[in-house]
Amino acid sequence: MDIEVTRSGEITTVAPKGDLDMASADRLKRTLADLIAGGQARLVVDLGAVSYIDSSGMGTLVAAMKYARGAGGDVRLCALQEDVRAIFELTRLSKAMAVHGSRQEALAAWA
Amino acid sequence: MVRLFSMTSEPAELARLRQWLRPALAAEGLPREECAALLLAVGELCANAIRHSYEGRGGQPIEVSLEASEEGIVLHVEDWGKPFDPAQYAPPDLDALPEGGVGLYLVQRIADRLSWETERGRGTRWTLLKYRPGRAAPAAGT
Repeated sequence: MDIEVTRSGEITTVAPKGDLDMASADRLKRTLADLIAGGQARLVVDLGAVSYIDSSGMGTLVAAMKYARGAGGDVRLCALQEDVRAIFELTRLSKAMAVHGSRQEALAAWA
Repeated sequence: MVRLFSMTSEPAELARLRQWLRPALAAEGLPREECAALLLAVGELCANAIRHSYEGRGGQPIEVSLEASEEGIVLHVEDWGKPFDPAQYAPPDLDALPEGGVGLYLVQRIADRLSWETERGRGTRWTLLKYRPGRAAPAAGT
């Protein structure tokens, strides 16, 4: 899985590309954990290029959210595709995590 | 007609499963969102086979089959590893934001009916039924 990481001031945007499943979740988990450990705890995860996510992928995002909040930050999600959003609603993650329509909205929410 | 797919117990095989299952479900004329949900449900059962039945060992067989009728779609996922033990399964507490253990819960939410067999003494055969829109089973007592 390709993961694009861009930094804008104190906010880091992580944009995985491809399916987020048991095979790729570990790589995203390590990327997010390394960023938070390095002091970059204000994260936006842009899921616009993710058309499939399973419970491993969702677990990765939850773990990162908990870690980031513990470090004084958070993980904000954005650009969920319709099928991904449906799965988030099944697990109620859409209520537990900050979810935004677009990357711009997610970045602006940190202001 | 029954469509069959064979894979082995490596996480990378799940992408190949989706490459087979996605068009197979689409060919049955199900609504897109139901295809996506079934894709996830089968994926979760196969991931559980890898993680729990085979305890992470690669190279082990997992078989998936799809059978369609006017009534609905029947999907089977079969492995030959450690049998599923319902006594060991605890439904997740979603309010506690679990980082794992929600795969089977998702399958239960997606399927209209879900059952499993472990009577072979080795492994588990899951059966997932999804009714076509408008073909749900009659309510109990009617």
